[in-house]
Amino acid sequence: MKLYAEKITFSKKPISIPPEYRPSYSIALIVLILKICCQGNKSSLLKLHLINWALKSNENKDSLKKFVLSNYTESSKTWGIEPSLNRALNYAVHEGVCSIINGKYLLLEKGEKFYSKILENPEYLNDEIDFLNFLGKRKITDNRIDSIYKKWKNQNA
Amino acid sequence: MLKINNIKIDVNTNNGLFGASHTFKSGLNIIRGNNTSGKSSLFQAIVYALGFEELIGGRFEKTMQSVLKDQVEFPKHKFHSVLQSSVLLEIENTNGDIITIRRFVRNPNRKSQLIDVYFGSLSANDSLESRPMFVHDNGGASDENYGFHLYLEEFLNWKLPQVLTNNGELRNIYIQQIASSFIIEQKSGWSDFFATMPNYGLNNKEARIVEFILDMDVYGNKMKKQELGISKKILENDWMNLNKRFERFTEKGGGKLIGLSQTPMIINNFDEINILLSKDETDHSISNYLDLTIDEFDKINLTETLSVKENIIDNEKLIVEKEDKLNQISFDVEMISTELTFDKQKLSNFNYQLESLNEDLRKNKGAFKVQKMGAEIDLKVSGNNCPSCNQEINDSLLPLSVKQVPMRLDDNIDFLSAQIRMLQVNIEGLESKIIVKNKKLINLRGSQNSLRSQIRELKTELTSDDRLPSIVDIEYRLNLKKRIEFYSKYLEDFAELKDELLLLSNKWKRILQEQEKLKSDTFSINDIAKIKSLTDNFKSLLSTFNYSSKTINDIAISEENYLPLAKKPNDDLFYNIRFDSSASDFVRSIWAYTCSLYKTSVAKNGNHPNLLMFDEPKQQDMSINDFTNFLKELSTYKNAQTLLFASFENSDETFKKATDGIEFHLNYINNKLIKPID
Repeated sequence: MKLYAEKITFSKKPISIPPEYRPSYSIALIVLILKICCQGNKSSLLKLHLINWALKSNENKDSLKKFVLSNYTESSKTWGIEPSLNRALNYAVHEGVCSIINGKYLLLEKGEKFYSKILENPEYLNDEIDFLNFLGKRKITDNRIDSIYKKWKNQNA
Repeated sequence: MLKINNIKIDVNTNNGLFGASHTFKSGLNIIRGNNTSGKSSLFQAIVYALGFEELIGGRFEKTMQSVLKDQVEFPKHKFHSVLQSSVLLEIENTNGDIITIRRFVRNPNRKSQLIDVYFGSLSANDSLESRPMFVHDNGGASDENYGFHLYLEEFLNWKLPQVLTNNGELRNIYIQQIASSFIIEQKSGWSDFFATMPNYGLNNKEARIVEFILDMDVYGNKMKKQELGISKKILENDWMNLNKRFERFTEKGGGKLIGLSQTPMIINNFDEINILLSKDETDHSISNYLDLTIDEFDKINLTETLSVKENIIDNEKLIVEKEDKLNQISFDVEMISTELTFDKQKLSNFNYQLESLNEDLRKNKGAFKVQKMGAEIDLKVSGNNCPSCNQEINDSLLPLSVKQVPMRLDDNIDFLSAQIRMLQVNIEGLESKIIVKNKKLINLRGSQNSLRSQIRELKTELTSDDRLPSIVDIEYRLNLKKRIEFYSKYLEDFAELKDELLLLSNKWKRILQEQEKLKSDTFSINDIAKIKSLTDNFKSLLSTFNYSSKTINDIAISEENYLPLAKKPNDDLFYNIRFDSSASDFVRSIWAYTCSLYKTSVAKNGNHPNLLMFDEPKQQDMSINDFTNFLKELSTYKNAQTLLFASFENSDETFKKATDGIEFHLNYINNKLIKPID
């Protein structure tokens, strides 16, 4: 067989990654969630994961919305835990955007500053902000999450 | 003219009142201050008070330095927070009318688009009436009562021309755009001619500004050109609509349209445009088709109506033929409808993909924005560094073990946009394919139905009384007659449509002719003199300032946009002067160009406001000698006002050397611009 090329080289090209994997973006979402959806700007890890998961796609958002609107009776889907969010949280803590107090994440002053910066010109983040405002501070509480978690445990025990 | 008499800046801090106050005269004013003394803050405050802050690169108070909006440092390392700050600017026009403008930089209770205009000199008389006006808001340049820039336009006795925007609308030039021709800002003002001009979607904006400043006649012709451009667009639209009507008309007659182009053109032979109708597998024009049908009808009318019996053998043959045809068509229908279902499924897949790509693009844009914001509040990750160890991270949250390099965010945005474009092209293609197939399917179903009913009739006839006249034969005759009636009317309607086309074609011819005429006589004699004067002034100033990148003979002014051009010796091709000038020579050419606009306007009665403002014109290690020549040139403009802000390399010696033998008015900023006021 005759080869047309004597040598073939491959070079690695940068790949496209979803914005959720960008540290600044992820931190921005964490800030928005803590500020808009959490009483005392404080949240458990599980809740952050739940809301972050919801923000990932419109289907997820709808599913969580349905769950809330059905007065929490509609059986909710399991939500995903993203290791990337944990990494983003690590960065956020070291940036001084939030801190861990008694196992909960608390928004710090730098995070507040970031929040007001974002709100000055939210443009491309309006969808996310609208959804978070829908959730508000009272619809998804840590107690609520605990009870869902227990329900699963019982069902699957 | 626009003359700036004085400026007063007030800054209230938590430790009392601070501020600055400067007076300017006609002729050359040198505002000297060391670097970081606040020289540029003064420059920017003047620009801001006039509502021209877009020249500094933005709108409203955020364009101002922090000394006017956040904190004052005085003396060094001692800071006072700003509670409120404002600029008072007194200006004068040709008639000697004076107004004082007050605009707040920081004031929690006032929006910064508000400007107070006092009718008179506030420094001479502090009980003046004032009126609040707006800048930048919708209507800021047009609202008759409250638009500050409209008021300023009247104050300067300017009548700003209308110009055509990129999307074909007529709109006034904005006064900020004109300002970029006589106010040269430090950071980007020296990077190009009119570098700081805001865009506002204006066509060939530099040219429009020069035409206004020099008050050229070409403007009238340009207007005509623009009007012509608009009627051209309208005609193109009409043509397209007519084209669509032709297509619908063709569809109604079941034919094929030939000879009509999608875009306007002059049609010389209207016979080329026709609709082809097919009969016995050959195409005929409408009138030929009509003739053939009439012939056939006449021929048939000569014969007696056949009875069923006579027709029996023919009919049986016909049934077999038609059933064969029907089978073929049914098969085609089956094939096409399968393909169609498949295509539609594909289309909905594509649309779903497009939706998620768009969502992805939006999020990426958000991420890009957030990254910038993060950098503003010093997030380390926004600069791609780890916040705890400062090592570089590659802007991703992927585990470190994944050895992939992600795209940079802006590349990622480009990548997604390209994918979206590609998908859109695919979708468009698929959609038109679906439309074509749908049409074909409808046609096939139509012939399927008519074949079925023909077969049914033939079969009925075979079972009916064989002495009766043949229904098929009668039906055929009736059909022919109907067809003749329909296509006679069709031919008439087609002629009417063609008349409309003739109208458009003639209109198109006229537009092209006028356009050709305008091409030849754009410049009036006055204009030619003005361009020549601009060119001469520019060249002579270039040599005064020791421009040396090219010989002066190889320099010209473009007739397209009036910007300076250069060419290689022994070559005819001119190009932007920028490409062949050293950095310092390019700054010299901006000096020369800005000055020659003024000089030409004075000599030829143009609209120049006779105000020139330069912030740090001594760029790029310019030699003091050339700088002195520049100052000398400016000091001869006795009837104009020049405000020149410079640091003179922070040295008394340089200052003395540069201004030796030059007449000017000095404003020296000693230490800091903003100082305590007792």
